[in-house]
Amino acid sequence: MKTYKKILALLMAVAAVGMMAACGSTAEEPAETEDAEVVEATTEEAAAPADAAGFTEYPIFEDEEVAFMNVSAVYFQAVPMSNGNENIEDFDIHLECDVSALENDLGYGVGDWIPYLTVDYQVIHDNGAGDVAAEGTFMVMSASDGPHYGANIALPDADTYKVIFTFHNPEENGYLIHTDAETGPGGLFDEYFADGNLTVEYEGWDYTPMEF
Amino acid sequence: MLKYLVSVTKDLLMPGILLGLLYAYIYQLYGPKGRKILTIGTIAGFAASIVMSVVKNRTRLVDLGMWNVRTFTVSLAALVLFFVFRALAKKGKGGSAVPVLAAILAFTLIFYAMPDIYALPFDFNLGGASLYSTAFFFRLIGFLLGIVVSFLACLAVDHAGKRLSPGLLGGMLSLALIVNGVQQLMKVIQVLLAKRIIPSNHTLFTLAKHSANYSDIFIYITLAVAAVIAIVLLVRSLHVNEPYDNPAQHRKIKAAWRNTRRWCALLLACCVVGVLCLTLFTSLSEKKVELSPPEECEQRGDDLYISFDQVADGHLHRFVYTTDDGVDVRFIIIKKPNGVAYGVGLDACDICGETGYYERNGQVVCSLCDVVMNVNTIGFKGGCNPIVIDYSVENGYIIVPTATLVEHQDEFTR
Repeated sequence: MKTYKKILALLMAVAAVGMMAACGSTAEEPAETEDAEVVEATTEEAAAPADAAGFTEYPIFEDEEVAFMNVSAVYFQAVPMSNGNENIEDFDIHLECDVSALENDLGYGVGDWIPYLTVDYQVIHDNGAGDVAAEGTFMVMSASDGPHYGANIALPDADTYKVIFTFHNPEENGYLIHTDAETGPGGLFDEYFADGNLTVEYEGWDYTPMEF
Repeated sequence: MLKYLVSVTKDLLMPGILLGLLYAYIYQLYGPKGRKILTIGTIAGFAASIVMSVVKNRTRLVDLGMWNVRTFTVSLAALVLFFVFRALAKKGKGGSAVPVLAAILAFTLIFYAMPDIYALPFDFNLGGASLYSTAFFFRLIGFLLGIVVSFLACLAVDHAGKRLSPGLLGGMLSLALIVNGVQQLMKVIQVLLAKRIIPSNHTLFTLAKHSANYSDIFIYITLAVAAVIAIVLLVRSLHVNEPYDNPAQHRKIKAAWRNTRRWCALLLACCVVGVLCLTLFTSLSEKKVELSPPEECEQRGDDLYISFDQVADGHLHRFVYTTDDGVDVRFIIIKKPNGVAYGVGLDACDICGETGYYERNGQVVCSLCDVVMNVNTIGFKGGCNPIVIDYSVENGYIIVPTATLVEHQDEFTR
């Protein structure tokens, strides 16, 4: 029995060391690819609380630029939301679209979140057949790292997906721009939306359902 | 009820069978001493899983993806060592490590499987019903049945497995552990790819994708292992030829096999419930609610007229307009409680699409996400509310222009 106890203690210690090693920086830090660094920087800029390991965003794509907007997409666990959206049982993930301003003449500070957008999303199986796995219009909400456009979606199948975000003119939601020379920023939305809505497409999102 | 029975059984049946196999194997080779060590791992697993469940659900300290990677790393290392030391034990070396490694395997099985189970009753989707409702009661029954089936499967594998020959039991255990190990390895790869800790790799992703999309196969194989054990023992019990010295010994042998047959029957019953959960019960629990048929309404020119009398009862009323493109555009009307206003909107929302709404116990519910609508906010934009449409009220009628329905025809399937 003493031998058992010694081996038990030894192996438990090995297991504990293994777990602690896995807790260490090597496992949790993204690989040092350019993309991963961008994700990390984006997350830090979003001021996620330091103790919020449970709120880990999984990247889809980062820093796609369209007109005056910088667009990134992440996903994480489906989340309950206010105003009757507490039930998350039938959803697999929370899809989030982060939109910040690039250098612009519309009055947005560079890096500011852009409000009053209507953002439609489509998640399509990247198999050439165009089968839509999920689609809809994002809701606007705040998380601990700030405001964003997002939605809980059901995406039960692992696959490679194409993601399409469609951005409507903020004026559709009543957002206005000063047009006089003294107080106006100089630009108008029409200059950017002259050909209709703006879209960002990303192909090659390798997705598997996760336990968050 | 079925939904929670399926959910719990899918989560617990496989670890339950594995745990039973470990107990049977360790008892057969190492007796009560080995069993005690395994029990230490089991109890530690339950204790740690309670802590994990509380920390995960009450704080935001736990990145479950990374914790699963840690748990599976320990489990996979213990699995490799288990096979190494088991091989050494056959040569008379290092056999004492085998029960300890089995204890670590038991710990990781329980530590991974149980936290979600503890949390599940707190997350029952009651559709607005209270904790003292039949809705909660039925969900609880499904939840508890899942636990009972998995526990009984564990006990039955343990009791029946001990009657197998060491070689066959060891083979069955190895197969079940390898299947579990492969699934754990695939889950590790899924997390590492999703977090970009390892760079995108087509082969790895393909493996991870198929293991995720066909994850039930791992449970089926484990159920097959359990079923084979039961069937082998049932067949063997028909041809008992153990030697005995007197009638009392003969009766004892017969009683022992009768007991084994009962455990085998129980094990097969658990396997049948497991298969039903993966097939019939899953499809039944995912069955969509049938929407009530649309009602008639009067069309005058380019407008649809619905009289107040038709919709004044406070219930949900569904109407449909077929556009020139052949699209059936549905819309709903409900009289709001405590007032004279009516909620009017499409039978579709921005989030869940055209799945529609139905009435359950006087409440309006989205048939896809089961969100209970606040009837007073129907007609306002946002959340899972019906998409807002133009309408007017005149001379006791709600008037819906067909133009607004045509405008929204893309929300509905052609």
